[in-house]
Formats: sequence, structure tokens, C-alpha cells
Amino acid sequence: MFALSGRSALLLGLSVLGGMGALVTGSTSCASAPDNKRFTEILQPDYPTYRAFVDPYLQRRCGTLDCHGQPGRAYRIYGFAGFRLYNIDAGLVSGQQPTTEEEVLANYQAAVALEPEEMSRLIATQGTDPNKLMLLRKPLKIERHKGGPAMAEDDAGYKCVVAWLRVRTVRPTNDGVDFETIPQAEREQLPLRARQDCEEAQNFP
Amino acid sequence: MRRTSPTHLSNDGATPRRASWRGRLLGVAACVAVASLGSSCNLDPVHRAGVNGLGPEEADLYPVESEYHRPGEPCALCHSTKGPADSVFVLGGTVFWGPDDYNARVDNAYVRILDANKTKRCFVTNCNGNFYVRKEDFAKITFPLLVSVERTVKPLQDENTLVIRRMSGHIGREASCATCHIQGLRDFASPGQIRMFNSEDEFKAKNVPLVACPPPPEFVQVEKCPEDRN
Repeated sequence: MFALSGRSALLLGLSVLGGMGALVTGSTSCASAPDNKRFTEILQPDYPTYRAFVDPYLQRRCGTLDCHGQPGRAYRIYGFAGFRLYNIDAGLVSGQQPTTEEEVLANYQAAVALEPEEMSRLIATQGTDPNKLMLLRKPLKIERHKGGPAMAEDDAGYKCVVAWLRVRTVRPTNDGVDFETIPQAEREQLPLRARQDCEEAQNFP
Repeated sequence: MRRTSPTHLSNDGATPRRASWRGRLLGVAACVAVASLGSSCNLDPVHRAGVNGLGPEEADLYPVESEYHRPGEPCALCHSTKGPADSVFVLGGTVFWGPDDYNARVDNAYVRILDANKTKRCFVTNCNGNFYVRKEDFAKITFPLLVSVERTVKPLQDENTLVIRRMSGHIGREASCATCHIQGLRDFASPGQIRMFNSEDEFKAKNVPLVACPPPPEFVQVEKCPEDRN
């Protein structure tokens, strides 16, 4: 054992403290400044198709108060018969006012933001292999789903969602290194058969 | 290294002696004791907090520890496999006349359930508006469910519809109606208590008599819905 005099112990303590302070300062000052111009672009599915055909189905199928109509859910759905988007001015109450545009948009954002990178991949490849998306993996029960199987691949609802994901919203740029958004007026419409599937699905259950 | 069974040397140090059968029995008993403790106690803190949050029974509001108790509370919180109630409900709730009045509850209302397999069952509320479906009453119930509630003019005597309500959505998986239909609350996350009329005035205009609970001797509890009587 070493015996330290009072003066030596004090010097040692001060050195340790100084060293720790230097370490903390060094580690914080080494981090680069945040770049507010840097962002990751998400390739998004078609919103008008979602609003008109897909949202009514997902609201009915998944958005009840005991399932995804709950604030704690990563995939949270708002709507007339379930959870309402909190708005003190609108005073929305479950089961009273019709679903608002803001609620539909929030539902769309929740669906896209569930797995943004996977959604981008899917949109870039025009809906190839849609079952990789958690939005479908869970209800198909490819991945554990507390609510059990909520879709099957021969369901009208499943076909409706997949058809929506296959609507082209981006195309490669001329140089082929990036994607550009297709203007709304130039986008193809949901095929008739898919529309019928969506209408059938909206009558769930 | 090779594992050997627990042996001890005998006093003479030559012949191995097996661990006594008493020791082994004690070990087994300890395991059984720990297992029974785990199964009898509620080890789920979320469930335990939910049950505790209901508070004690209120004798001045309803007959305690009976089929009439705790109207408007989430039945299946206690009536589940996690307990503490003995019976397990797959669905249960309370039907009220209006949106606000806790004391006006619907007796002899017909609660009709259609499950995902298209199986139909009907249950009748008691004098306190409570209805419950035991696991053995609807063993193969499959969610999602569609539910409607009907009250006839005078059950058993005049079976013309007085009022009927159907849920605008389905029940995804919740066994307690009151988990979503929160009594005394209508807001962005709850449509409020299950009600036959959307305003108390509408109910009062019907002049429907309220029944005391436990019921008076002249009260007739309907056991079966009209479609199940034959």
C-alpha cells in the first residue's frame, strides 16, 4: 500500500478531476455541428388514393379503440368511430363528428412513418415484395401481431392496400441516379378491380 | 469435466452414499411451493395496478360481490384468467339509458353478438344493466365482434322494439365494454357509456320506469332473448 501525504492526495484528486473535465469537454467539442440542410427523403405512396380508398378500410379494420385507435400505438389510427385527433378547438369526440382531413393525413403519415426506409424501397420498386412492409407483415401474421391475423392475401382489404402501394409516385431521373416525384396530374389511377376490392373491404366486417 | 450425481462418501470414506431421499423430497416441495406462489399471486404489475385502481366496492351504490356489482366498470379486468375473480368473462358490460346518468341503467335489454365466424348469441342484462358472457357460454367466440343492444317495450309481455342501438364499429379484441365506453367521459378517446338514447331528455320523454337492484319480488328477470325461447 502507498501512503500519500495530505498534499499529494490533494494534487492527485485535482489531477483526476482535471482529466475527467478535459475528457468531457473534448468529447462534446469533437461532435460535428448539426446540419439542418441534411435530410433523408422518403419516397411516399400516393396520398389521394390512400384518402379515397385505403383509409376508410384501415380505419374500420384496424382503428378501433381497443386496437390501433390508441395513443400508445406506433401505428395509430384516427377516425370517426375510434380515436380522435386531439384538437381543443374542434372538440372531436369518438363516434360523433365525421373523420377530418387532418385525421386522414395523420393516418397516412403513421402508415408511411412506420418503416420509412422500407416504404421508400417499396415505392422505388413499384410495390415489389410488399409483404416486407410491417404494415402488412403484422396483419398477415408473418410477424407477431397481438391482434392476431387481420388480413389474408386473398382478402379484398389486402389487395386494396397492395394496389395502393403499387401506384407509381416516383420515376428515375434522366441521369438515372435519383428519383423524382411524378406530378399528381400525371399519375395513373387505381385500377378498376382494385377500386372494387377497396369498396368491398370498406364494408368490413 | 464429467458431472456425477450428487453423492457423498460414507463415514468410512469408501462407499459413496446417495443424497438422502428426504433432501430430494424437500427440493421438490420447494419447487412446487414456488410454482404455486407464482400462479396464485398476480405477478403482472400492470394488471395489478388496473385492479387496484378500481378501488373498493361501494355498498351504497350497488349490491356488492354480486352479479349486480360495479356497473360501468371494466368487468374483464378482474374476470380474467389473471383474476382476482373466479369466473372468466369473454365479454361483459353495462347498458345505460342515457349518456350521463349513472343511476339509470337498462334492465332486460337484449345484447346481441355476432362474431367473426358469424355465430350469433344473445344475452340479457340484469336489473342493474349488467350483462356478461362467461367463457363456457361462448367458448368459440372469435373476435372481431359486432354488437347491438335492443330494449323492447315491456320484455316478455310486449316485445316490440322500444329502442335499438348498433355499434358503429366492431370490437377488435377487448372483453370489457367499459375499457372503451368509459363511464362519465365522452372525449377524443371514448364515446362514453353504452347508452340507448343520446340525451337524458330523450329517455325521460319515454317514461320508462327504473328498476331497483337487487330487484323487488314482482320484477321478472328475462332469462333468454326472444329468438332463444323456443
